[in-house]
Amino acid sequence: MTNSMSNLKGLLNKHYQISEFEEPIAMELIFDVRNDQLLDVLAFMKSIGFGQLSLLTCIDWIEKNEFQLVYILMNWDSGIHALVRTAVDRDNPKFRTIEHIYPGVKYYERDVHEFFGVEFDGNEDSFKHLFLELWEADRPMKKDFDPEAYSEKKYGMRKYRTEFPRKIGGE
Amino acid sequence: MTIMNFVAAFLFVLGAFAFQTSITGVNRKIMARLQKRRGPKWYQQFLDIFKALSKSSISHGWVYDFGVIMALGGIMATVIFIPIANFRAFPNTDNVFIISYVLAVGMLGMAMSASGSGNPWASIGVGRALTNMLAYEVPFMIVVVTMIYSFNTASIGEIAEIQQDLGVLGWNMFRMPLGTIVALISLQGMLGKKPFDSFIAPAEIASGPMVEYGGKHLGMLFILHDLSTFIEISLIVNLFFGGGATFLEFGIKYFVVYTVANLVSGIMPRFKIDQAVVFFYKFPLAAALIQGFIVIFTGWGVTKWL
Amino acid sequence: MAIGDKVEIKAWEKLGDFFRGRSIWMMWYCTGCGAIEMPPTMTSRFDMERLGMGPMATPRQADILLITGYLSVKTLRRVIYSYEQMQDPKYIVAFGSCTINGGIYFDSYATINKLDDYLPIDMYIAGCMPRPEAIMNAFNELQVKIRNNEVDGWKRYKKNYDQYKANQMKAVGEVFVHDEFHE
Repeated sequence: MTNSMSNLKGLLNKHYQISEFEEPIAMELIFDVRNDQLLDVLAFMKSIGFGQLSLLTCIDWIEKNEFQLVYILMNWDSGIHALVRTAVDRDNPKFRTIEHIYPGVKYYERDVHEFFGVEFDGNEDSFKHLFLELWEADRPMKKDFDPEAYSEKKYGMRKYRTEFPRKIGGE
Repeated sequence: MTIMNFVAAFLFVLGAFAFQTSITGVNRKIMARLQKRRGPKWYQQFLDIFKALSKSSISHGWVYDFGVIMALGGIMATVIFIPIANFRAFPNTDNVFIISYVLAVGMLGMAMSASGSGNPWASIGVGRALTNMLAYEVPFMIVVVTMIYSFNTASIGEIAEIQQDLGVLGWNMFRMPLGTIVALISLQGMLGKKPFDSFIAPAEIASGPMVEYGGKHLGMLFILHDLSTFIEISLIVNLFFGGGATFLEFGIKYFVVYTVANLVSGIMPRFKIDQAVVFFYKFPLAAALIQGFIVIFTGWGVTKWL
Repeated sequence: MAIGDKVEIKAWEKLGDFFRGRSIWMMWYCTGCGAIEMPPTMTSRFDMERLGMGPMATPRQADILLITGYLSVKTLRRVIYSYEQMQDPKYIVAFGSCTINGGIYFDSYATINKLDDYLPIDMYIAGCMPRPEAIMNAFNELQVKIRNNEVDGWKRYKKNYDQYKANQMKAVGEVFVHDEFHE
């Protein structure tokens, strides 16, 4: 099993010069790639057996001013999960689709577009809404969106009268 | 035909409605006990019907309204022709063909109003209901025609009286056992009970033809359902279980037949409509034909009986 | 309106309340996580049918709408659509604390906080989620109130229709459903 892990690391190092890997738990491998390398790396991974795209998600690093897209791939033969990460600029988030490599990513790209605002060129469907209908405010999962303030403004809060008859630990 | 005939007919319809609705309520309690719970009161069905009649209701046009009224009127007219013991509201009108014919008016009225409502679930439900009718009528009619041929009369009241001459063993249940089994299976289809109730499937097609009914239309539909149950079970009791010499005897037999049908439906799942049609054309049809051959060629059960 | 008219309407309504208070049909649409408490209430242990209540398949046939738990904005659009299809007189019972003040989802961008702004509620049941014993108690009380002609949610909705609509538009935007399955 670790044979295939080291095999994989060797291949990635040889073809794409990727040398920094994290292995948080057994059978899981995390590495970062540049934007221009990503499609090549994913096509390569698919060809060596990583046939399933489990998830595409996005992390908002507001201090570093970037969105980090994470693609989780799985190999059914060796049981390895590979997390491929890449960074996109936060103020102008545009990227390319990978629908021709993994067709099922169509809905994940719609999800990421709807909640973070990343635009995927080449996937026309990704601009349609998926979960939120008639949404007119900012993208909800970004860290500078305050859901409590939005909820209070739009839906109102019930006004209660609170009286505490006695202070605890006081007079 | 005097005015007393009409008054008797009217009271008979009211009595049939009250009788059947109470028995439906009691059966809801029996079904609940089968499922190990308490169940509603015995008059719950009355409360349901009158509550439905007290709500406001919407209308989708005159076809929709008229269909329900036509169906209810047709079924009430059919109830008048049913003979019980020695009571006939109008003499010489209890022919089995009249009853089968006018019974179809109920289903057609519901089909008309379902199509007037314009809901696609209603069309699916009505299509299934009419297909269901095509399936269960054929074996049942073969058995009935066999009976008419062997007793030389098409009048239900006379068939009932012929059976009563020989006591319990004279019932058609013992004379034509295969025919009785076929009729009881068809009864499940006629009443719209499981396993043949795919045309009302609540979770699948949102209760089929009844999907747009609310308020008063629904109340009328429940009355329609109760009266048509009364007609069908009376038909079976008169044809196969010897009718009844008195109202009380008829009432007891009626209660037993309805409860057995209800208990059978309580433990069975639901057939799809194509499975139901294929089923009816296999065993019940074969059994009805075999029964017919036995009666016609050997006379066993009719001429050679006790 | 003459005094004679008022008395006559009242008598007819009283008779209707007698029947409506003993036989209620609920709509088979359980909205939030509280729906998990409906099957125990309906089945053998806490039998709901002995109160005369039973499920019916469509909104046209139902008398009561149970809002069981939180309501996201998407669901609220469809619930309003269904509520307006039901026929008078109709009742709503709201389960759980999410309908009272938002519950544990008070700070979510997608769920509403005060259900009373959008639909007229006849009875609230406290809890997260209320147990079947609490639900049976509430249904019993609701039936007593109906018999005494004290619940009039549907009349309030008709009388204050503009206000309810304004609130609904503010939260929901549009009650007609636009998604790729309907178009």
